Amino acid sequence: MADAAVLPPARPPFNPWPAVIFVALIVLALLFLAPTAGVLLSSVKTTREIALGALWSIPAELYLGNYAEVLANPAVHRYLLNTVLVSAPATVASIALGALAGYVFAKLPFRGSNLLFLVIVSGMFFPPQVILIPLFRLFNAMNLIDTLWPLIVIHTAMGIPICTLLMRNFFATVPNALREAAILEGANEWQVLIRVALPLSLPALAVLATLQFTWIWNDFLWPLIFTQSDEKRTIMLGIVNLRGQYSVAWGVQGALSLIASLPTLVVFLFFQRYFIKGMTMGAVKG
Amino acid sequence: MARLVLEDVTKRFGAVIAVDAVDLQIEHGEFVVFVGPSGCGKSTMLRTISGLESVSAGRILIGDRDVTHVAPSRRGVAMVFQSYALFPHMTTAENIGFGLRLARVPKDEIARRVTDVAKTLQIEALLDRYPRQLSGGQRQRVAIGRSIIRDPEVFLFDEPLSNLDAALRVRMRLEIARLRDRLDATMVYVTHDQTEAMTLADRIVVFNQGHIEQIGAPVELYDAPANLFVAGFIGAPAMNFIPAEIEAGENGKANVRFGAVSLPIGREAAEGKVTFGVRPEHLSVAAESEHDFLGRVEIVEKLGAESLVYLQTGFSKAPITMRIPPELSVHAGEEIPVRVGRKRLHLFDAEGRVI
Amino acid sequence: MEGDKRFWRAVLLALPLAVFAVFVIWPLASSFYYSFTNWNGFNPDYDYVGLDNFQKIYTDKLFYQAAINTALWMIAAILLPTALGLGLALLIDSSVPGSAAFKSIFYLPICLSAVVVGQIWVWIYQPDWGLLNTVLEAMSGERLRYAWLAKPDTALWSVIVAWSWQQTGLSMVIFLAGLTTIPEDLLEVCEIEGATTAQRIRMVVIPLLTPATVVVIALSVINSLKGFDILYIMTGGGPFNSSDTLAMHMYNESFKKYLMGYGSAISVVLFLIALTIIRVYFRQLRKVDELYG
Repeated sequence: MADAAVLPPARPPFNPWPAVIFVALIVLALLFLAPTAGVLLSSVKTTREIALGALWSIPAELYLGNYAEVLANPAVHRYLLNTVLVSAPATVASIALGALAGYVFAKLPFRGSNLLFLVIVSGMFFPPQVILIPLFRLFNAMNLIDTLWPLIVIHTAMGIPICTLLMRNFFATVPNALREAAILEGANEWQVLIRVALPLSLPALAVLATLQFTWIWNDFLWPLIFTQSDEKRTIMLGIVNLRGQYSVAWGVQGALSLIASLPTLVVFLFFQRYFIKGMTMGAVKG
Repeated sequence: MARLVLEDVTKRFGAVIAVDAVDLQIEHGEFVVFVGPSGCGKSTMLRTISGLESVSAGRILIGDRDVTHVAPSRRGVAMVFQSYALFPHMTTAENIGFGLRLARVPKDEIARRVTDVAKTLQIEALLDRYPRQLSGGQRQRVAIGRSIIRDPEVFLFDEPLSNLDAALRVRMRLEIARLRDRLDATMVYVTHDQTEAMTLADRIVVFNQGHIEQIGAPVELYDAPANLFVAGFIGAPAMNFIPAEIEAGENGKANVRFGAVSLPIGREAAEGKVTFGVRPEHLSVAAESEHDFLGRVEIVEKLGAESLVYLQTGFSKAPITMRIPPELSVHAGEEIPVRVGRKRLHLFDAEGRVI
Repeated sequence: MEGDKRFWRAVLLALPLAVFAVFVIWPLASSFYYSFTNWNGFNPDYDYVGLDNFQKIYTDKLFYQAAINTALWMIAAILLPTALGLGLALLIDSSVPGSAAFKSIFYLPICLSAVVVGQIWVWIYQPDWGLLNTVLEAMSGERLRYAWLAKPDTALWSVIVAWSWQQTGLSMVIFLAGLTTIPEDLLEVCEIEGATTAQRIRMVVIPLLTPATVVVIALSVINSLKGFDILYIMTGGGPFNSSDTLAMHMYNESFKKYLMGYGSAISVVLFLIALTIIRVYFRQLRKVDELYG
């Protein structure tokens, strides 16, 4: 056996890059977290402590009075209830309509169906302002301004593009042979959709439910246009509204923001995988 | 001189041992083929030579230089991937010249060398095309072009032909053989296709479960397999294995017995249970008086140049395969007399080692 | 069989198409109609005024301001969240420990509402005790009282930074998804051919990320066109309309001044801009698909 001509290194040379990258990411992560952390910190401080100029510091003690104040406010209850009353039905309805249309585009294509699909999908790219005025006039004529109905209906309609897109893409992965086998067994298209395609598409439904719920819960423009009285406001509008009432009570404002964000935060933490998948699927396959 | 030496090379993935203490010397200019079933460690072995996988233990020397911990690009190796691994956003010329561009070689020199390489591979007309505009065979040539332009000491091929259809595979095999003769380099070639192994290799290394079963010239492996595994792996259709016994014969030499058949093996051997192996081409249809046993024909496969006959016998559960000239007319259901060629008898002990 | 299919197509498509047509397509078409009227939002009657509203756009200084701001916002949207998202994706993809946690942290702002994000950043920019001034003060040692959101020269950029903070995570996950589609063996070729990290990223990774880049840029541009909620919360378009965008301007004209006809004309312009961008986007997608698909 010939000896190595060059001195063999005893072990692989040290590579500093992973450590550098890790530290860089930690710094960036802290920068990214700072804004959210600030709100969290302020929400557990007394107004006095904040007034002394310590909004961004670690609280002297954990003060939960801000949360108590927010949770005791009947207006907040009403806002939250209104938001649920809009988000839940609109989420379900938009997914249901998207599933119906998506099934046709995936499994029963026809001449011109691609164009129709494209028209529907491009609906998700337009600023909502382009349909604002006619809808305002429409609901005004129907005497539905300052009710929750316009919000439910519009969120359902505006959800159709993304729901149709994702459901079509998901149904397209359901093998055609399954549909054909079911049809040979005597099932009709409705039964194929309900009994075969949908049960196989639970991941897509989860993705859409998280996406739609988050968007509708967080929406600001539509309730701003269609609700006027305090009784009909949703939580995001409510936050803005209560700013006056808690004008210097920064801690209460922080607690209010966090409570308002809690449902979407919970959805994000538990369904993050679906959420990210939906965002990327919707974006990449647009 | 680019001799490639593997000393006690081991690669573990967690608890799984993919390559187990392999020792191997490949001489300069030699074409060595790694074969084995999938998951046997042959590809991992190749990737540790390239440096894409680090070794868990052992040393790798290229041209007497210890490269165990040297970056892949400084080992003097080039690799041709199974998937071709061409960059979809680069033309043929850019793909071939990729390594030179990385090394900041002047543009005109890159152009000159790319054209030279393209000429040898007869792909000059394709230099401005993108990979998606090329056929499988053309892509393979481009991939090979990228590997030879850097003039490496060792070429590594990772199943380069397995994505091609059968006819193209034969043509590309010939081209690689031509390349082997023209380039003065050491080549290591991984495949699971034994025809490629037999036709291309100076030496074949048979891998199984992370270790080497046998190393040898193709014909050597075919004629004298060291164990049951190699005997069964090399050769298609595979060697027949028949449970048998060694018993004493005439003149102190031994006989091998299976069923009612007893054949002299022409040498001494300890008595006991063995596996008797005989290749399909060493069985023949015999005259009534010369036959060793009778077999009932189950299926006849007519391949044109030859026919394969599957026989049911009393001494083997698995059907016995034999290879016969196509003009012999044999039909399913009939019983035919078979003679065993005496020169090529393989005997394996209980551990599978050749006796 | 074909008759069956036709029947079910009609049954299944009826409801979604009806809802979409009545509440999206029809209002879109009506916007064009109202842009030729002088409807004021209350009075059921209105007059047909021809191209008056579009002529008004032509002379409306605030419209120009809003259009320029929207364009600036778009450019910033291409640069900030796209570049940051790409950088973060490349860092996270280099198999650091805790990559899942990093991903969540950078992505978290996406699930917050524009209202909450706006409020958080109003606090950061607050002149007296805001985080930004506090940090700058600590670094420079001077008493700083820059009112970021109240000064016309910084208001728009301050909002864009806040918005980018929220959008970066989205760009990052799309780039991360794009990175997973790059075949492993192409990166191995880089290793064997001796590419440095910079060469690998510049010559291989970024070109191969083209599909993801097209999507990220298109989304950023389209989302910047929608820039309204966060602006409404943080500056309301002020001070002196210095941070107005087209979406904001349309809202102000329609629902503050009740010039619904004029607002419709602005929304028509907004629609045409969006349409152009979407057409370019779809065309690029098809091109990319041909190259990399």
